[in-house]
Amino acid sequence: MYGAPGGGPTVYDPMTLPVDDNVNKYTFCVELKGSQWFLQKGKMIAYYGSMEFNGIGHGRLDRLVRTSFHSPLHASEWVVAEGSGKMLLADRAFDVNSYDLEDGNLTIRSGNLLAFQPSLALKQSIVPGFLTLIGTGKFVAASNGPVVFMEPPIRVDPQALVGWADCPSPCHHYDHSYMTGLMGGLRAMTGLGGASGEEHQFEFVGAGTVLLQSSETLMAEQATGAVPNEPGVPGGGAHTGPSQQAGAPRLPGQLGDLQRRFGL
Amino acid sequence: MPFREINSKMVEATLLPGQRLFSQRGAMLAYQGEVTFTPNIQGGQGGVMSMIGRRVANEATPLMSVEGSGTVLFGHGGHHVQVINLTGDTLYVEADRLLAFEGTLQQGTMFMGSQGGVMGMVRGQVTGQGLFTTTLKGHGSVAVMAHGGVFEIPINPQHPVHVDPQAYVAHHGDVRNKLSTALGWRDMVGRGSGEAFQLELSGNGSVYVQASEEKL
Amino acid sequence: MLAVDMTGDAVKAKNGSMVAYDGQMAFKKLSGGGEGLRGMVTRRLTGEQMTVMEVKGHGTCWFADRASEINLVGLQGEKLYVESSNLLATDAGLRTGTTFTGLRGASQGNGLFTTTVEGHGQAAIMSDGPAVVLRVSAQYPLTVDPGAYIAHQGNLRQSFQSGVTFRTLLGEGGGEAFQIRFEGDGLVYVQPSERNTIAGDV
Repeated sequence: MYGAPGGGPTVYDPMTLPVDDNVNKYTFCVELKGSQWFLQKGKMIAYYGSMEFNGIGHGRLDRLVRTSFHSPLHASEWVVAEGSGKMLLADRAFDVNSYDLEDGNLTIRSGNLLAFQPSLALKQSIVPGFLTLIGTGKFVAASNGPVVFMEPPIRVDPQALVGWADCPSPCHHYDHSYMTGLMGGLRAMTGLGGASGEEHQFEFVGAGTVLLQSSETLMAEQATGAVPNEPGVPGGGAHTGPSQQAGAPRLPGQLGDLQRRFGL
Repeated sequence: MPFREINSKMVEATLLPGQRLFSQRGAMLAYQGEVTFTPNIQGGQGGVMSMIGRRVANEATPLMSVEGSGTVLFGHGGHHVQVINLTGDTLYVEADRLLAFEGTLQQGTMFMGSQGGVMGMVRGQVTGQGLFTTTLKGHGSVAVMAHGGVFEIPINPQHPVHVDPQAYVAHHGDVRNKLSTALGWRDMVGRGSGEAFQLELSGNGSVYVQASEEKL
Repeated sequence: MLAVDMTGDAVKAKNGSMVAYDGQMAFKKLSGGGEGLRGMVTRRLTGEQMTVMEVKGHGTCWFADRASEINLVGLQGEKLYVESSNLLATDAGLRTGTTFTGLRGASQGNGLFTTTVEGHGQAAIMSDGPAVVLRVSAQYPLTVDPGAYIAHQGNLRQSFQSGVTFRTLLGEGGGEAFQIRFEGDGLVYVQPSERNTIAGDV
């Protein structure tokens, strides 16, 4: 047996690994006892025991997918782990945390969600680039720096937003004193004076919780799948909103680059 | 103290009416209350001359001024944030490492050549930061960004500190800096151990060093 | 960030990883890897590259590299296998060498050879985020993603196994991913992050 002499790092084995809890800030341990978890591909770093990982289109999982997975075009990014043992999840050394939902709903940026129990139902949010989890169960999400919980009313830089729970009305907020008026127009046309980079935020009002991550570095977006191309579906029809511009294709949910349009 | 470290990558600033903060543009994460963000055409304080100085110095990191009443969260690029409180002394910091600072601080630009002569100039070239460094002077706090964690090494006359120019973040106090090439000639002709240049800091004060050799 | 207090002794460290020091320090480049001509020749042959400097003196020296997390491993005669890119510093008394890793190296894109550290003393290994140390014993074999593996010690056998079965309707996801299975008795260090791997995608 090899120990860690001199008070070295803790050595874990299947007995001492925590059950459905963090091993450290960046690593999360999930215990499977014949149960199943959905996880994003590439996030399992090690496991003890016997487990099977199956792509979500796998026929045997049809029923499970039908009840818990409502993001069909997103399915190739996910696998189902089943078996018994303990597995470690991590994502590019980002902070990892688990969240318990009790008959609740939480909407999260798609790139941040790592894994969830099948007792939760995963759906695409109306807001492009976000996924909504509904029901009772545990899920694991990553964030760039620890997640900070805030109460509405609050205005949030789009890139710092991880998700929200129970908030009914996320909406866009534009800094009008900056965008309108002579100086604003001049600035917008010429780029002179620059933009503060904070002309546009997401605004949350009402009761609920807003989850923020510390940094403005976006985690890689996961495609949530295209939405049906029909009128009335955000992101589905022709784009006419002020934040849409021709040129480089933008990822869903990525609205934080408005400042570039205003001179920077 | 207006800045509170929420975690290693985020600070919260409390704004009262009449107070003003400066921050790097785009570094606001969220705010509560009535707060306005104005891009700062002067690039800080000091009017046109200062601006020209900054243009020449290539230290024109875009700033915005933040006013109003409420709380604002700042963070940027996943970088670690360190809050440094100044009590009358001067902080030397590269402008692009400044996340936010209080409006009560006097902002200036220092020509590195004026301190340390030729070596100061070499230092600027080695760090690739230009020959100018931003100075902040007075009473107030500053939030500084670094790649990886930051730690503070005290400097006193008996205790000079050598720092890799790439890992240098900021320093304050009455500190002289000079670039030392403490190594033998062999290291200078291409067989170096990778530490051919070192920044030697001596005097009284502190230097902040990041756990990485990457610039921001 | 690794702080080393030295009183006249020496450490070997990755080139350019010193970020600060006080007191008196001397830096010397070591050719090859520190074990003379033979070690160097092995290195040339194997393509396992590691440039090392020796730091000697009195005072405190701080080491860091690309903001990665540093884990100290104490060795008492046993052998540590570590990817050379993850080795930051060792006591000068530890011997470093090269060993053939088999296919694992190929799948990680790290080359087929890995660095070994042997002797009595401490080694500092780097990881992207703090490493988790997992014990492998006879009754508890361990399966690891190649991209998250950074080091192991002890008497371990490695084997490859395929990971996910992507038997999807449309064949989406394609191909099979590889995992490394460790059996025997020892410790495995994994990082909470994954390098880009050629094969692993679980």
